Amino acid sequence: MEYVNPLTGFRLDGRRPNEMRQIRGEIGVVAKADGSALFEMGNTKVIAAVYGPREVQNKGQQINNRALVRCEYSMANFSTGDRRRRPKGDRRSTEISLVIRQTMEACILTHLLPHSQIDIFVQVLQADGGTRSACINAATLALADAGIPMRDIVTSCSAGYLCSTPLLDLNYIEDSAGGPDVTVGMLAKMDKVTLLQMDAKLPMDIFENVMQLAIEGCKAVAHYIREVLLEHTKQLECHRGA
Amino acid sequence: MVGLSTGEKRFIHGGIAQDLRSDGRKRLHFRPFCVETGVIPQANGSARVRLGATDVIVSIKAELGKPSSFQPDKGKVAIFVDCSPTAAPEFEGRGGEELSSELSFALERCFLGGKTGAGAGIDLSSLIIVEGKVCWDLYIDGLVVSSDGNLLDALAAAIKVALSNTGIPKVNVDLGPSPDDQPEVDVSDEEFLQFDTSGVPVVVTLTKVGRHYIVDATLEEESQMSSAVSVSVNRHGHICGLTKRGGAGLDPSVILDMISVAKHVSQNLISVLDSEIAAAEANAKE
Repeated sequence: MEYVNPLTGFRLDGRRPNEMRQIRGEIGVVAKADGSALFEMGNTKVIAAVYGPREVQNKGQQINNRALVRCEYSMANFSTGDRRRRPKGDRRSTEISLVIRQTMEACILTHLLPHSQIDIFVQVLQADGGTRSACINAATLALADAGIPMRDIVTSCSAGYLCSTPLLDLNYIEDSAGGPDVTVGMLAKMDKVTLLQMDAKLPMDIFENVMQLAIEGCKAVAHYIREVLLEHTKQLECHRGA
Repeated sequence: MVGLSTGEKRFIHGGIAQDLRSDGRKRLHFRPFCVETGVIPQANGSARVRLGATDVIVSIKAELGKPSSFQPDKGKVAIFVDCSPTAAPEFEGRGGEELSSELSFALERCFLGGKTGAGAGIDLSSLIIVEGKVCWDLYIDGLVVSSDGNLLDALAAAIKVALSNTGIPKVNVDLGPSPDDQPEVDVSDEEFLQFDTSGVPVVVTLTKVGRHYIVDATLEEESQMSSAVSVSVNRHGHICGLTKRGGAGLDPSVILDMISVAKHVSQNLISVLDSEIAAAEANAKE
């Protein structure tokens, strides 16, 4: 199957190899949560809700010098193409929960909130590849909405390599093609990579290009997220009547 | 869990007694509905309903299946509800399962009638393709994204909206030479049939707080309830299902009174929903 048209250089969904899907972020979608956000990357759509910082619910887990960060990733029954009733806490969700938790923990200033707990819940409404990245981006927005102190905003984007072309932001069809899929999460301003995952093999020099592409993607997402946050803050200011 | 002080509790009770609730509503007033259709493009039909801070998404998927041998002339419908942990941290892990199954069963009771499928709010015989051989299996999946009380009514409303948004693909059936053959079914990708939703009921939950009962209780009000009765009523004012929750006992005459009030409220609710559905469809077309 040709994932990149050899004549025009366009991908199956009409994007250029280094073009991202349309992204959209919205803050404050869950009224009862302390912070919440919706993030869309093309057809992938996730909601993140943050509860906390609050008292640690399970005293045994309390950490005396920093905050406890917890994360749960869940997929809606209708999120994938074929409907399926999935058990909670399967291995894939547990792994993604862990990845998101570690990535977010790297940017939250946990030492400022000792004896407390921060819960991040991400819910996938539609899955079309790159749910990991979308979840991290949504979680960043939700954490910012909850007013939790962070070093920097962490954003994520994936890139792959198909038909000898590095491709940015794979969708489900490209993701299931079996090529390598590099997911990068980074602190945009500090220029530090906090998450890096790849499956399948790739020569060293090509890997460098693919990773660079994913990093560029992260920076673009970071730029957008900053805009969304700024817009939201302006709205808050407007509501206050300042 | 809602943490309320004695003063707050008294405020809620007093407000309800005086027919002026904390958010300015009267006892029998709903919060404004916000309806969106077609939110899940992969599904045959979907809807998102927001009722104040309560936010639910319902998606409907139709799959080809085989009718059960007890009811060869009827299709099958299954309702599943999932409480996302985004709605409340208590739903984390398996924490939401109890509420999820309570809601699923209450909705099945309201929409699907008894085990025989008689008296169902959804017309099951319209889902049949070849009697005894092929039918549509309708999977109704609800997701609670945010919870501020009255989940059952919101979910029921969302199911009603999603059903009106549902397009079931047109099928061409080739029965084959002998009657024992499994018929060949050709599903059209382009032509869709609208689902008849005129008989689909709505659910009105009356929550008893103190000596009075209210509709569309918020989470705070629900925490003060002694018991609640959920009545599902269709357009003709027929009662399609009934569920009572809560620990306290109710006088039978009070229950009858509540049912008649629910019947009255539901007719308003149906007309509100109808206009919201029309508005949402018009929005989606633009």
